[in-house]
Amino acid sequence: MNDHSPHEFDALGLDREVKAPRHMKQRWHDSIDLAAQREFNDQKQTARAFSMSSFFWGSAVTAALALGIAIGVFVADDPEYIEPTEYVVQDRGNSFDRVMQVHLRDTQNDIASMPIDTAEDRTTLVLRIIQQNRLFEQAAERNEADNLARVLRAFEPILLQLAASDIAPEDAEALRDQLAFQLKVMLTKLERSTSKETTST
Amino acid sequence: MVAVLNRQGPPTQAEFHEVISTRSDRWYSACLKITRNRDLAEDAVQDALLNAWNKRHQFDRSARLDTWIHRIAINAALQLLRKSKPGVFEALEDDVEGPSPTPEHVRADEELGRDLAQALRQLSEIERVCFVLKHLEQWRLKEIAEEIDSNVGTVKQAIFRAVKKLRVRMAALQREAL
Repeated sequence: MNDHSPHEFDALGLDREVKAPRHMKQRWHDSIDLAAQREFNDQKQTARAFSMSSFFWGSAVTAALALGIAIGVFVADDPEYIEPTEYVVQDRGNSFDRVMQVHLRDTQNDIASMPIDTAEDRTTLVLRIIQQNRLFEQAAERNEADNLARVLRAFEPILLQLAASDIAPEDAEALRDQLAFQLKVMLTKLERSTSKETTST
Repeated sequence: MVAVLNRQGPPTQAEFHEVISTRSDRWYSACLKITRNRDLAEDAVQDALLNAWNKRHQFDRSARLDTWIHRIAINAALQLLRKSKPGVFEALEDDVEGPSPTPEHVRADEELGRDLAQALRQLSEIERVCFVLKHLEQWRLKEIAEEIDSNVGTVKQAIFRAVKKLRVRMAALQREAL
Protein backbone atom coordinates (compact mmCIF):
# COMPACT_ATOMS: atom_id res chain seq x y z
CA MET A 1 0.00 0.00 0.00
CA ASN A 2 2.76 2.33 0.90
CA ASP A 3 5.15 1.36 -1.86
CA HIS A 4 4.65 4.55 -3.86
CA SER A 5 7.49 6.97 -4.40
CA PRO A 6 7.29 10.20 -2.39
CA HIS A 7 7.38 12.18 -5.66
CA GLU A 8 4.96 9.97 -7.58
CA PHE A 9 2.13 12.47 -7.31
CA ASP A 10 4.13 15.69 -7.67
CA ALA A 11 2.47 16.38 -11.01
CA LEU A 12 -0.86 16.77 -9.21
CA GLY A 13 0.53 19.69 -7.27
CA LEU A 14 0.00 18.06 -3.90
CA ASP A 15 2.85 20.06 -2.42
CA ARG A 16 1.55 23.30 -3.84
CA GLU A 17 1.31 26.05 -1.24
CA VAL A 18 -1.97 27.95 -1.29
CA LYS A 19 -1.68 31.62 -0.35
CA ALA A 20 -3.96 32.62 2.49
CA PRO A 21 -5.99 35.73 1.57
CA ARG A 22 -4.85 38.97 3.14
CA HIS A 23 -8.02 39.46 5.22
CA MET A 24 -7.48 36.06 6.83
CA LYS A 25 -3.90 36.92 7.78
CA GLN A 26 -5.12 40.20 9.20
CA ARG A 27 -7.69 38.33 11.28
CA TRP A 28 -4.96 36.03 12.64
CA HIS A 29 -2.71 38.97 13.50
CA ASP A 30 -5.63 40.73 15.20
CA SER A 31 -6.55 37.66 17.21
CA ILE A 32 -3.05 37.54 18.74
CA ASP A 33 -3.19 41.26 19.57
CA LEU A 34 -6.61 40.83 21.15
CA ALA A 35 -5.49 37.82 23.19
CA ALA A 36 -2.41 39.71 24.38
CA GLN A 37 -4.48 42.78 25.24
CA ARG A 38 -6.99 40.67 27.17
CA GLU A 39 -4.19 39.03 29.10
CA PHE A 40 -2.60 42.39 29.86
CA ASN A 41 -5.92 43.79 31.12
CA ASP A 42 -6.38 40.76 33.36
CA GLN A 43 -2.92 41.31 34.83
CA LYS A 44 -3.70 44.99 35.32
CA GLN A 45 -6.92 44.14 37.16
CA THR A 46 -5.09 41.70 39.40
CA ALA A 47 -2.46 44.35 40.11
CA ARG A 48 -5.18 46.91 40.93
CA ALA A 49 -6.98 44.50 43.25
CA PHE A 50 -3.72 43.79 45.02
CA SER A 51 -2.87 47.46 45.39
CA MET A 52 -6.32 48.21 46.83
CA SER A 53 -5.88 45.55 49.51
CA SER A 54 -2.36 46.85 50.24
CA PHE A 55 -3.79 50.33 50.52
CA PHE A 56 -6.46 49.13 52.93
CA TRP A 57 -3.88 47.50 55.20
CA GLY A 58 -1.55 50.48 54.85
CA SER A 59 -4.35 52.83 55.94
CA ALA A 60 -5.25 50.55 58.84
CA VAL A 61 -1.64 50.51 60.08
CA THR A 62 -1.34 54.29 59.68
CA ALA A 63 -4.58 54.81 61.62
CA ALA A 64 -3.39 52.48 64.39
CA LEU A 65 -0.05 54.32 64.58
CA ALA A 66 -1.76 57.71 64.69
CA LEU A 67 -4.04 56.48 67.48
CA GLY A 68 -1.03 55.13 69.35
CA ILE A 69 0.81 58.46 69.07
CA ALA A 70 -2.30 60.38 70.14
CA ILE A 71 -2.72 58.19 73.22
CA GLY A 72 1.01 58.50 73.98
CA VAL A 73 0.79 62.28 73.75
CA PHE A 74 -2.39 62.39 75.84
CA VAL A 75 -1.03 60.29 78.69
CA ALA A 76 2.45 61.87 78.68
CA ASP A 77 3.70 63.08 82.06
CA ASP A 78 5.10 66.38 80.81
CA PRO A 79 2.27 68.74 79.72
CA GLU A 80 4.73 70.83 77.61
CA TYR A 81 4.73 68.19 74.88
CA ILE A 82 0.96 68.33 74.43
CA GLU A 83 0.94 71.98 73.34
CA PRO A 84 1.49 72.91 69.68
CA THR A 85 -1.10 71.41 67.36
CA GLU A 86 0.38 73.36 64.44
CA TYR A 87 3.75 71.66 64.92
CA VAL A 88 2.18 68.20 64.84
CA VAL A 89 0.41 68.96 61.53
CA GLN A 90 3.60 70.33 59.99
CA ASP A 91 5.59 67.33 61.16
CA ARG A 92 3.02 64.96 59.64
CA GLY A 93 3.48 66.65 56.25
CA ASN A 94 7.19 66.46 56.56
CA SER A 95 7.24 62.78 57.40
CA PHE A 96 4.93 62.05 54.48
CA ASP A 97 7.41 63.77 52.16
CA ARG A 98 10.21 61.69 53.65
CA VAL A 99 8.27 58.45 53.14
CA MET A 100 7.63 59.56 49.58
CA GLN A 101 11.34 60.20 49.10
CA VAL A 102 12.12 56.70 50.31
CA HIS A 103 9.58 55.31 47.82
CA LEU A 104 11.05 57.32 44.96
CA ARG A 105 14.59 56.26 45.85
CA ASP A 106 13.51 52.59 46.03
CA THR A 107 11.88 52.97 42.62
CA GLN A 108 15.05 54.61 41.31
CA ASN A 109 17.12 51.67 42.53
CA ASP A 110 14.65 49.14 41.09
CA ILE A 111 14.72 50.88 37.75
CA ALA A 112 18.51 51.16 37.73
CA SER A 113 18.84 47.41 38.30
CA MET A 114 16.00 46.50 35.93
CA PRO A 115 16.88 43.70 33.45
CA ILE A 116 16.47 45.07 29.95
CA ASP A 117 17.01 41.90 27.92
CA THR A 118 14.81 39.44 29.82
CA ALA A 119 11.28 40.61 29.22
CA GLU A 120 9.65 38.36 31.79
CA ASP A 121 11.78 39.58 34.72
CA ARG A 122 11.31 43.15 33.58
CA THR A 123 7.53 42.75 33.38
CA THR A 124 7.32 41.23 36.87
CA LEU A 125 9.41 44.04 38.34
CA VAL A 126 7.51 46.80 36.54
CA LEU A 127 4.12 45.40 37.60
CA ARG A 128 5.36 45.48 41.20
CA ILE A 129 6.50 49.10 40.79
CA ILE A 130 3.08 49.96 39.32
CA GLN A 131 1.35 48.50 42.37
CA GLN A 132 3.56 50.49 44.73
CA ASN A 133 3.17 53.63 42.66
CA ARG A 134 -0.64 53.44 42.80
CA LEU A 135 -0.51 52.99 46.55
CA PHE A 136 1.60 56.12 46.98
CA GLU A 137 -0.48 58.03 44.46
CA GLN A 138 -3.59 57.38 46.57
CA ALA A 139 -1.69 58.30 49.74
CA ALA A 140 -0.61 61.58 48.10
CA GLU A 141 -4.23 62.35 47.21
CA ARG A 142 -5.32 61.71 50.78
CA ASN A 143 -2.60 64.03 52.03
CA GLU A 144 -3.77 66.68 49.56
CA ALA A 145 -0.40 66.59 47.80
CA ASP A 146 -2.06 67.04 44.42
CA ASN A 147 1.11 67.84 42.48
CA LEU A 148 2.83 64.77 43.78
CA ALA A 149 -0.18 62.58 42.99
CA ARG A 150 -0.25 64.00 39.46
CA VAL A 151 3.43 63.25 38.89
CA LEU A 152 3.05 59.71 40.21
CA ARG A 153 0.07 59.23 37.90
CA ALA A 154 2.19 60.44 34.98
CA PHE A 155 4.71 57.64 35.63
CA GLU A 156 2.13 54.96 34.96
CA PRO A 157 1.87 55.18 31.14
CA ILE A 158 5.66 54.88 30.89
CA LEU A 159 5.65 51.97 33.32
CA LEU A 160 2.89 50.23 31.36
CA GLN A 161 4.93 50.52 28.18
CA LEU A 162 7.92 49.08 29.99
CA ALA A 163 5.78 46.18 31.23
CA ALA A 164 4.95 45.05 27.67
CA SER A 165 6.69 41.79 27.00
CA ASP A 166 7.75 42.42 23.45
CA ILE A 167 9.27 45.85 23.22
CA ALA A 168 12.77 45.99 21.77
CA PRO A 169 15.60 46.20 24.35
CA GLU A 170 16.68 49.61 23.00
CA ASP A 171 13.13 50.97 23.45
CA ALA A 172 13.01 49.55 26.97
CA GLU A 173 16.31 51.24 27.71
CA ALA A 174 15.05 54.60 26.41
CA LEU A 175 11.90 54.33 28.56
CA ARG A 176 13.96 53.37 31.58
CA ASP A 177 16.19 56.44 31.09
CA GLN A 178 13.13 58.69 30.72
CA LEU A 179 11.65 57.30 33.92
CA ALA A 180 14.95 57.61 35.81
CA PHE A 181 15.21 61.26 34.73
CA GLN A 182 11.65 62.10 35.85
CA LEU A 183 12.20 60.34 39.17
CA LYS A 184 15.39 62.32 39.72
CA VAL A 185 13.61 65.63 39.03
CA MET A 186 10.78 64.67 41.40
CA LEU A 187 13.16 63.59 44.11
CA THR A 188 15.22 66.78 43.88
CA LYS A 189 12.06 68.91 44.19
CA LEU A 190 10.91 66.93 47.21
CA GLU A 191 14.30 67.15 48.91
CA ARG A 192 14.35 70.91 48.41
CA SER A 193 10.87 71.41 49.83
CA THR A 194 11.62 69.14 52.81
CA SER A 195 14.84 70.97 53.64
CA LYS A 196 13.05 74.38 53.38
CA GLU A 197 10.34 73.19 55.77
CA THR A 198 12.90 71.81 58.19
CA THR A 199 14.81 75.11 58.24
CA SER A 200 11.66 77.16 58.69
CA THR A 201 10.39 75.09 61.68
CA MET B 1 14.68 31.39 9.09
CA VAL B 2 12.16 32.40 11.68
CA ALA B 3 13.79 34.26 14.53
CA VAL B 4 12.85 32.04 17.41
CA LEU B 5 16.24 30.68 18.32
CA ASN B 6 18.66 32.16 20.86
CA ARG B 7 15.81 33.61 22.88
CA GLN B 8 14.54 32.63 26.26
CA GLY B 9 11.12 32.39 27.82
CA PRO B 10 7.84 31.88 26.01
CA PRO B 11 7.45 33.21 22.46
CA THR B 12 6.48 36.88 22.41
CA GLN B 13 3.66 38.67 20.62
CA ALA B 14 6.23 39.92 18.08
CA GLU B 15 7.39 36.36 17.34
CA PHE B 16 3.79 35.28 16.75
CA HIS B 17 3.32 38.14 14.30
CA GLU B 18 6.53 37.17 12.57
CA VAL B 19 5.50 33.55 12.03
CA ILE B 20 2.01 34.58 10.91
CA SER B 21 3.60 36.81 8.29
CA THR B 22 6.07 34.22 7.06
CA ARG B 23 4.50 30.81 7.63
CA SER B 24 0.73 31.08 7.73
CA ASP B 25 0.39 30.17 4.03
CA ARG B 26 1.83 26.75 4.86
CA TRP B 27 -0.58 26.22 7.77
CA TYR B 28 -3.53 27.35 5.69
CA SER B 29 -2.53 25.09 2.75
CA ALA B 30 -2.27 22.05 4.97
CA CYS B 31 -5.60 22.78 6.65
CA LEU B 32 -7.27 23.42 3.29
CA LYS B 33 -6.05 20.08 1.90
CA ILE B 34 -7.40 18.31 4.97
CA THR B 35 -10.77 20.03 5.16
CA ARG B 36 -11.36 21.06 1.52
CA ASN B 37 -13.22 23.96 3.04
CA ARG B 38 -11.86 27.54 3.22
CA ASP B 39 -13.87 28.54 6.29
CA LEU B 40 -12.84 25.47 8.24
CA ALA B 41 -9.19 25.96 7.21
CA GLU B 42 -9.29 29.62 8.28
CA ASP B 43 -10.88 28.73 11.62
CA ALA B 44 -8.39 25.92 12.16
CA VAL B 45 -5.46 28.33 11.83
CA GLN B 46 -7.23 30.83 14.06
CA ASP B 47 -7.92 28.19 16.74
CA ALA B 48 -4.33 26.96 16.50
CA LEU B 49 -2.92 30.44 16.99
CA LEU B 50 -5.04 31.15 20.05
CA ASN B 51 -4.26 27.73 21.46
CA ALA B 52 -0.55 28.26 20.90
CA TRP B 53 -0.72 31.74 22.43
CA ASN B 54 -2.48 30.45 25.54
CA LYS B 55 -0.02 27.57 25.91
CA ARG B 56 3.09 29.49 24.89
CA HIS B 57 4.66 28.91 28.30
CA GLN B 58 4.79 25.20 27.43
CA PHE B 59 6.65 25.84 24.17
CA ASP B 60 10.04 24.18 24.04
CA ARG B 61 12.64 26.60 22.68
CA SER B 62 14.55 23.73 21.09
CA ALA B 63 11.67 23.41 18.58
CA ARG B 64 10.54 25.92 15.96
CA LEU B 65 7.53 28.04 16.73
CA ASP B 66 6.09 27.75 13.21
CA THR B 67 6.39 23.95 13.22
CA TRP B 68 4.70 23.81 16.60
CA ILE B 69 1.79 25.95 15.39
CA HIS B 70 1.60 23.90 12.16
CA ARG B 71 1.01 20.72 14.15
CA ILE B 72 -1.62 22.40 16.33
CA ALA B 73 -3.34 23.71 13.19
CA ILE B 74 -3.55 20.21 11.68
CA ASN B 75 -5.11 18.89 14.88
CA ALA B 76 -7.55 21.81 14.90
CA ALA B 77 -8.48 21.12 11.25
CA LEU B 78 -9.18 17.47 12.04
CA GLN B 79 -11.29 18.44 15.02
CA LEU B 80 -13.31 20.97 13.03
CA LEU B 81 -13.83 18.46 10.22
CA ARG B 82 -15.03 15.87 12.69
CA LYS B 83 -17.35 18.39 14.30
CA SER B 84 -18.81 19.56 10.99
CA LYS B 85 -19.36 16.00 9.76
CA PRO B 86 -19.82 13.56 12.63
CA GLY B 87 -18.74 10.03 11.71
CA VAL B 88 -16.64 11.31 8.82
CA PHE B 89 -13.76 8.93 9.57
CA GLU B 90 -15.85 5.82 10.13
CA ALA B 91 -17.49 4.98 6.81
CA LEU B 92 -14.62 3.32 4.93
CA GLU B 93 -16.48 0.41 3.33
CA ASP B 94 -19.36 2.37 1.85
CA ASP B 95 -17.47 5.56 1.29
CA VAL B 96 -15.72 4.56 -1.91
CA GLU B 97 -16.76 7.58 -3.92
CA GLY B 98 -15.79 11.09 -2.94
CA PRO B 99 -18.50 13.28 -1.42
CA SER B 100 -20.65 15.30 -3.81
CA PRO B 101 -19.23 18.84 -4.05
CA THR B 102 -20.74 21.57 -1.90
CA PRO B 103 -20.32 25.34 -2.57
CA GLU B 104 -17.54 25.32 0.06
CA HIS B 105 -15.76 22.54 -1.83
CA VAL B 106 -16.02 24.49 -5.07
CA ARG B 107 -14.48 27.59 -3.48
CA ALA B 108 -11.72 25.51 -1.90
CA ASP B 109 -11.02 23.75 -5.19
CA GLU B 110 -10.52 27.12 -6.89
CA GLU B 111 -7.71 27.83 -4.46
CA LEU B 112 -6.16 24.38 -4.59
CA GLY B 113 -5.75 24.44 -8.36
CA ARG B 114 -7.43 22.34 -11.04
CA ASP B 115 -5.29 19.17 -10.98
CA LEU B 116 -5.00 18.90 -7.23
CA ALA B 117 -8.66 19.71 -6.73
CA GLN B 118 -9.74 17.05 -9.23
CA ALA B 119 -7.47 14.51 -7.61
CA LEU B 120 -8.64 15.23 -4.08
CA ARG B 121 -12.27 15.32 -5.20
CA GLN B 122 -12.08 11.63 -6.09
CA LEU B 123 -11.07 10.64 -2.59
CA SER B 124 -13.42 10.05 0.29
CA GLU B 125 -12.91 12.16 3.44
CA ILE B 126 -11.02 9.43 5.27
CA GLU B 127 -8.89 8.60 2.22
CA ARG B 128 -7.99 12.24 1.69
CA VAL B 129 -7.19 12.92 5.34
CA CYS B 130 -5.09 9.76 5.76
CA PHE B 131 -3.25 10.36 2.49
CA VAL B 132 -2.51 14.03 3.23
CA LEU B 133 -1.33 13.28 6.77
CA LYS B 134 0.92 10.44 5.58
CA HIS B 135 2.16 11.79 2.28
CA LEU B 136 2.35 15.54 2.92
CA GLU B 137 2.65 15.83 6.68
CA GLN B 138 4.79 12.71 7.17
CA TRP B 139 2.77 11.45 10.10
CA ARG B 140 3.23 7.85 11.24
CA LEU B 141 0.35 5.43 10.65
CA LYS B 142 -0.13 5.01 14.40
CA GLU B 143 -0.34 8.78 14.90
CA ILE B 144 -2.96 9.08 12.16
CA ALA B 145 -4.97 6.20 13.62
CA GLU B 146 -4.93 7.79 17.07
CA GLU B 147 -5.90 11.20 15.72
CA ILE B 148 -8.92 9.95 13.80
CA ASP B 149 -9.95 7.45 16.50
CA SER B 150 -9.35 4.50 14.21
CA ASN B 151 -6.85 1.67 13.88
CA VAL B 152 -3.70 1.24 11.82
CA GLY B 153 -5.39 -1.32 9.52
CA THR B 154 -8.14 1.10 8.53
CA VAL B 155 -5.61 3.88 7.95
CA LYS B 156 -3.47 1.60 5.74
CA GLN B 157 -6.51 0.61 3.72
CA ALA B 158 -7.60 4.24 3.30
CA ILE B 159 -4.14 5.23 2.04
CA PHE B 160 -4.08 2.19 -0.29
CA ARG B 161 -7.36 3.26 -1.86
CA ALA B 162 -6.21 6.87 -2.11
CA VAL B 163 -2.99 5.89 -3.87
CA LYS B 164 -4.91 3.66 -6.28
CA LYS B 165 -7.35 6.46 -7.18
CA LEU B 166 -4.60 9.02 -7.55
CA ARG B 167 -2.66 6.70 -9.89
CA VAL B 168 -5.72 6.50 -12.10
CA ARG B 169 -5.93 10.28 -12.04
CA MET B 170 -2.22 10.55 -12.88
CA ALA B 171 -2.67 8.22 -15.85
CA ALA B 172 -5.56 10.36 -17.08
CA LEU B 173 -3.40 13.47 -16.77
CA GLN B 174 -0.62 11.84 -18.74
CA ARG B 175 -3.08 10.84 -21.47
CA GLU B 176 -4.37 14.43 -21.56
CA ALA B 177 -0.82 15.69 -21.93
CA LEU B 178 -0.09 13.48 -24.94
